[in-house]
Amino acid sequence: MTRRSPAVGVRVFRATAMTDLPGLLAFVDTACDAFSADEDVRFAMRLAVEEVFANILEHGYRGNGPVEATVDGGPRCVRVCLRDQAPPFDPADAPAPDLRSPLEERDPGGLGWHLVRQFVDELEHRPAPGGGNTYTLVKQLPARAPDP
Amino acid sequence: MDIRIEPRGDVAVVGIAGSVDGLTAETLLSTLQLHVEAGGTRLVVDLSAVEYTSSAGLRALLATVKEARRRGGDLRLADINPNVRKVLELSGFATILKIYAAVDEAVASYEG
Repeated sequence: MTRRSPAVGVRVFRATAMTDLPGLLAFVDTACDAFSADEDVRFAMRLAVEEVFANILEHGYRGNGPVEATVDGGPRCVRVCLRDQAPPFDPADAPAPDLRSPLEERDPGGLGWHLVRQFVDELEHRPAPGGGNTYTLVKQLPARAPDP
Repeated sequence: MDIRIEPRGDVAVVGIAGSVDGLTAETLLSTLQLHVEAGGTRLVVDLSAVEYTSSAGLRALLATVKEARRRGGDLRLADINPNVRKVLELSGFATILKIYAAVDEAVASYEG
């Protein structure tokens, strides 16, 4: 089976700090373009990747550390994997966000993972045997009419 | 990201252009906080040119609206593109922030 893939040289992106975010998001855009994703898919994937990356830095490393992003996909979906070397963390254990309190009591914590779940179709977490985590984000592509 | 603040009477219209993300949200927060601390507590944020925001942008808006209301003012949003609006709604922000279709409408909401 032949898979369409992003341009040679952009299938892996390595980031270590929030200053790498523009490069990481550009990498995601390129991947979405390679799979002919529309604007809504591109927005969803950017948001999900940023939220996972920010959580890895803030809570996983409590600072900077290596994060490797890879992309994959096909005519039906785009998939981004983010791998870190931080202590194991399952997003299922993230605190539920506060979506209902009055403004004065509203705590914005926990919004990141909540938004990831809302914007992608699949979120999978696997702890790596030697330490670290792999987070896999999958976004389905809208069905397109077959080529004539 | 570019931020422009234009006075309209005693209301400040904050026009943001570009992406509000984990790298740019801090600039947005410090700009808005300086304005509020200087007494400009009635804000309208024009989001028509914002094509992307993450939870980092929401945290900046939340901190600013809390401080503005504490000082007797408010932060109101106008002209939001559909994906940014979706982020606000899924985060429960649509129920705590006043949202208007147009900037003029948001500015006028402070009258009376």
